Amino acid sequence: MSEAQGEVFDLGYHHYEGPREGRMRARKAIWINGVRTALGIGRGWGSKAIPVLLFIATMTPAVVLSIIAATLGATEDFPSHDDYYQIISTLLIIFSAIIAPELLCPDRRDGVISLYLVRPLSTTDYVAGRWAAFLTVTLALVYLGQVVLFIGFVLAADEIWDYLRDNWLDVPRFLLAGLVVAIFTTTIPLAVSAFTTRRAYAAAFVIGLFIISIPVSAILSLCEDDQGQRRSEFAAGEQEPCRPATGEAAKWFALINLGAVPIHVSDLIFPEENNSEFAQLVAELPHIVPVGWYLLLTAGPGFVLWWQYKRISI
Amino acid sequence: MLYTLYMLEAKGLTKRYGDVIALESVDFQINEGITGLLGPNGAGKSTTIKLFLGLIEPTSGSAEVIGQKPYESVESRARLGYMPEHDCLPASVTAAEFLTHMAQVSGIPPTYARTRAADTLRHVGLDEERYRSIGEYSTGMKQRVKLAQALVHDPVLVLLDEPTAGLDPGGREDMLALIKRTGQEFGISILLSSHLMGDVESICDRIIVLEEGHVTEEGEVSQFTQETQTLYIEVDDHLEELVEALSKRGITATVDGLSVVVQKESEEQYDAIRDAIVEADARLRRLAPRRHGLTDIFRRAPNE
Repeated sequence: MSEAQGEVFDLGYHHYEGPREGRMRARKAIWINGVRTALGIGRGWGSKAIPVLLFIATMTPAVVLSIIAATLGATEDFPSHDDYYQIISTLLIIFSAIIAPELLCPDRRDGVISLYLVRPLSTTDYVAGRWAAFLTVTLALVYLGQVVLFIGFVLAADEIWDYLRDNWLDVPRFLLAGLVVAIFTTTIPLAVSAFTTRRAYAAAFVIGLFIISIPVSAILSLCEDDQGQRRSEFAAGEQEPCRPATGEAAKWFALINLGAVPIHVSDLIFPEENNSEFAQLVAELPHIVPVGWYLLLTAGPGFVLWWQYKRISI
Repeated sequence: MLYTLYMLEAKGLTKRYGDVIALESVDFQINEGITGLLGPNGAGKSTTIKLFLGLIEPTSGSAEVIGQKPYESVESRARLGYMPEHDCLPASVTAAEFLTHMAQVSGIPPTYARTRAADTLRHVGLDEERYRSIGEYSTGMKQRVKLAQALVHDPVLVLLDEPTAGLDPGGREDMLALIKRTGQEFGISILLSSHLMGDVESICDRIIVLEEGHVTEEGEVSQFTQETQTLYIEVDDHLEELVEALSKRGITATVDGLSVVVQKESEEQYDAIRDAIVEADARLRRLAPRRHGLTDIFRRAPNE
């Protein structure tokens, strides 16, 4: 019988002699970690549940529309790529309002931010990394829906190649419009999240802000018809035209509806007319107005986000 | 012309917050080894650390880390480690995942980062626990993770801010032993900021004492813990008789608790003390010169 033998190794401490990639690697790490955090990757099922449910909810319209288009065929009245952004805008805002604070609030609440900012990473790098991470997630969400919808339309077409030849421009259009929508829905919730360490507060504030802006904008820009329904004077159709209380200023007040701000810019990218009442009012304004308003509402919160982190004291 | 490159160097370092002066014209150099930054609350320790981490800029003067100013170049922080006093750990991720991420944020590629995370967690004694969520850890284990994240990218210098805060005596001993091992065996220089003299005295080679924004003392720890000229004669009984017997031999003595205290004037005094103890019939427990402790630093008047 052989005697049991063993050897003790003291592994000790090893100095690192591998590559060091400095600030670029640090930025990349913040971005990748942000994407993982937004999607709940590497965490428990509880953390995954909300993003997955919201993802499903946001994708459902695209899947349903594609199935209908592919089976029954897309008529002229069928929702277009432009309409899709309008359909999902509310869901997208809810998604952003709930998920975006996850990227910023815990880092400040747990104090991890103090570890980030003593590494080869500036405040700007951190904020830009988190912003880029959430933009990646929202872009994936809006593009995925549009791709599904496009495939549905292609399958619904009598002649696939004819459809592609006639409608290929829809692809760069929905890519550009998707970027417009994603930047907007990324920046505002992140800017709000920079002011609180509680995710719930940030989410409630963003959702409340968007919800309140709808009736405020409607009261100031739409008129009430005989049935008590609010509508724009331009959507009167066969009915008697009505005049909003704010007169000519009504079209400006239509811009208050925050959820529709990126849609107004998207409407300028797609050739189809948007039949929503707010969109028709804004269409009366010079194009520079909705574009300028959009830029103000993205650059402004973007600056506020950066400035708030510049002031952070560790 | 040759320049000496120090691990840390403060040159005329001044930091003001409005009318409040946190640091004023501070000059010191820190070389390799374990250095203690000692001072009461509000002395300017945290401001000093923040300046060397590049989190704030000096009002005047400079704070250099291996010849670079971290507030001017974030890249220079790639070889610095920092363990803050306050909570800084996410509760919902595992220690292994957190350290892998922090290694990457320090510039280490993902494949190497995973290995470094495992190695560093083993070094701090959390090898078996690394796949548990940090939220489930005890205070002592969390302090170890905090130290591990400061070491995961193999820095040349680590700044530790009150590393034993919140630990029980056993945990404190373990943490100090770990820090000592890190500094002495692995060649990682350490600046340990603390208001606990025991911590500094037990592991540091050098100390810098800050009081009200000024450096009041600086030097080797041994320099501050030298023997004094005060002799402590610890006896079980007959204290008064011993004082009288010493007095008869021309030695002035006072009683301090269970000891008789004598100012040593010559080596010959030991014979007289021995005779006095015999005469007083006192049972001797200990006879030794008192050593300075770091506590004495704060008993002295500033700039004494």
